[in-house]
Amino acid sequence: MYINAASTISHQPTFRNAGFSSNLRKLDPSSGLITPDYGDFIPAMERRRMSHVQKMAIACSLDCLQQAGIQQPDAIIVGTSMGCSINTKNFLDKILAATNGPLSPTSFIVSTHNTIAGQIALSLKNHGYNMTHTQNSLSFEQSLIDGILTIENGAQNVLVGGADEEEDTIYNMRARLKNEEIHLTCGASFFILSKNQDSITSARLVDVASFGLIDNTTGTIKNFLDTNNTLAEEIDLVLFAVSDQENKNDLKSIFQPWQMFDYQEITGTYYTNSSFAMHYAVDILSNKGHSIFGDKVKNILVCNNLIPGNLGLMLLKN
Amino acid sequence: MSDLKYELKKQIIEELNLEDIQPEDIEDDAPLFGDGLGLDSIDALELVVLMEKYYGVKITDEETGKKVLASINAMSEFILEQKEKNK
Amino acid sequence: MKIFVTGIGVVSAIGQDAEQNLRSLQSLTTGLSRSANFNLMLGEVRLSNEQLIEKLDLPNEDYSRTTLLAILAAKEAWSNNKINKSVRTGLISATSVGGLDRTEKYYFESQTSKTARTYSLMTHDNGRTTERVAAELGISGYIGTISTACSSGANAIMQGARLLEGNKLDRVVVGASEPLATFDVKGFSSLNIFDNEICKPFDDKRSGLNLGEGAAYLVLENEHSISVTGNKPLCMLSGWNNATDAFHQTASSPDGKGAYLAMINALAKAGITAGNINYVNAHGTGTSNNDLSESMALRNVFGDAMPSFSSTKGFTGHTLAAAGAIEAVYCVQSILSQAPLPNLNFSTPMKETNMTPETSFRSAKIDYVLSNSFGFGGNCTCLIFGKAW
Repeated sequence: MYINAASTISHQPTFRNAGFSSNLRKLDPSSGLITPDYGDFIPAMERRRMSHVQKMAIACSLDCLQQAGIQQPDAIIVGTSMGCSINTKNFLDKILAATNGPLSPTSFIVSTHNTIAGQIALSLKNHGYNMTHTQNSLSFEQSLIDGILTIENGAQNVLVGGADEEEDTIYNMRARLKNEEIHLTCGASFFILSKNQDSITSARLVDVASFGLIDNTTGTIKNFLDTNNTLAEEIDLVLFAVSDQENKNDLKSIFQPWQMFDYQEITGTYYTNSSFAMHYAVDILSNKGHSIFGDKVKNILVCNNLIPGNLGLMLLKN
Repeated sequence: MSDLKYELKKQIIEELNLEDIQPEDIEDDAPLFGDGLGLDSIDALELVVLMEKYYGVKITDEETGKKVLASINAMSEFILEQKEKNK
Repeated sequence: MKIFVTGIGVVSAIGQDAEQNLRSLQSLTTGLSRSANFNLMLGEVRLSNEQLIEKLDLPNEDYSRTTLLAILAAKEAWSNNKINKSVRTGLISATSVGGLDRTEKYYFESQTSKTARTYSLMTHDNGRTTERVAAELGISGYIGTISTACSSGANAIMQGARLLEGNKLDRVVVGASEPLATFDVKGFSSLNIFDNEICKPFDDKRSGLNLGEGAAYLVLENEHSISVTGNKPLCMLSGWNNATDAFHQTASSPDGKGAYLAMINALAKAGITAGNINYVNAHGTGTSNNDLSESMALRNVFGDAMPSFSSTKGFTGHTLAAAGAIEAVYCVQSILSQAPLPNLNFSTPMKETNMTPETSFRSAKIDYVLSNSFGFGGNCTCLIFGKAW
């Protein structure tokens, strides 16, 4: 399985900036979302009902298609934990504000989680498979698994992405992760997953797995590596996210400190930030002579243990 | 341009979030739906809300809605007509 | 590869288990009634959250209604299944609002009261509702949530089939749950598409939909799994497909292109032709737009040889994300009973298509059943179930 295009909008200068992984700094606490001019991607009449997350997703999708030179993907698969939570909150406010008169429907019709994938299809006039996975911190990994199944069923190119916007009125992520210190951010990362390798990329997605409610993180990681005939010491870089020291100790029992890098220092925290981590990995594998990790990185494991008990694993090679 | 029509255009742009459009871009007699401004069935529901919110004018059935929301001219005529009735 | 359905569970306005639901379908008894809360015809499950907690004998903690309805139906489907290391088992559940029924209550209360409990927010995310169901069944590993508005339930079932087919799992519990949240009641009300009386799917004088709530789950197994579990197949899940209408965020295209594509692709996946289908459980919400668009798509698939068809929304109301799962259970029951299911409140065929749905519960040969589910975003899913004997 090959990754033939990747595009990210985030709190970092990632959009249309190949090679960004060499230059990214630790996230500034005061950082905001860095957005392109959406007018370049989405006509005003289509943009009028879109919140942040939809605009990010469409711009990244169109960027991916352009990079890969594809008009239409065979499928559109989106992972989003919180979906269109800003529109959801807006409609709750409309309900509160309305007395007996008619209620404004727009924020309601664009509040469902699948509005993101649906709007991408609508703007591309795409009639293919269209799916939305919403398993909190594993939403993106499950979308990738779905993408792989779609390609195994005969598709050539699949658009897969992870996207979440920041909204902390109706959902308290700090409370859920039992960590008041985390830096909440948002972002969207999209990819073209293909059966055949395109000459412009050098990243291969070897395997993806999603585990929920598990109590043996180390055993699960070891099994995953065994299944893929890879030894822990063969992993050049482990991009990881954990919520507490105990989970970090689990990882330290398998990997050496020099193998490990906490990707949340770069991505900040949102439930689909492992999609940003995957783009980070793709960028490292695609650019020789990385400023931090050197030019010997061939195998990268993205290890997403953001919610204790939930584990996402993605193995990438060049 | 009458003040009412100008106000209506500004309110439509605001409520429907028509970012790139100026009040001057909307012609008084051009159709708001379909080939004109290109609004759809959801916008129609928004315009019904707008008419009640800003002008206290109720549109209760689809037939009236189609007629009244056809253009800026039709909307302003209906508002004035209702005001006259309620005097 | 064969995919067996070996368990079903359902709770809706017409019953708290599969048996009660079937009896209501057989006796043409609607579950819709005028709700005191909203002064609307709604399909409410006649159990409060407190009653559900007591019935399920659950520990005292915060639950969204989504989770409670899900646990009730999922436990019925799961029945006597046990976790077994040699059978890789997963859970895929679907919901549109997730824990929003609790969140909205908190949010509305918090406007006037400083003591509203913030803990309810923790039950908000969709994935959390699924994790709670998995914990109740003892399932760990692949635990997933699908959310594609009103086609969610059908997509969760399809996703389970894809994971079995892709050899990622051997057995999977699939289904959906949706409570009647104020958010959805007000939302559909803002679209001005409620029928003030009981809905009339496929009738020329139809005037809108009624909302409902409920949950339904199915157990799907591959051959390896049933060789270990010894479960008896109820029927097969033979075909599935998802396609996109790509016409408008909420409205269906005049010719129902997405629906048409989903149906013909699902038939191809099942390796059968339209002529093999004996009964169609339509999406049939009762709105002017859906029923016309779906009828056009059905005409394009079946031509003049339209099999028995009906919408069961007149019994349950439109249960949104749960609809595809509840109707999948009804399709299994249609095969087991060898009877197409009835459509309530029909009197006059639509002028445009002149199609008459099934209006009674009668015996007939049922080899294959097709079920449609459509959602916002032009999301169209079709499932095909086949006889296992």
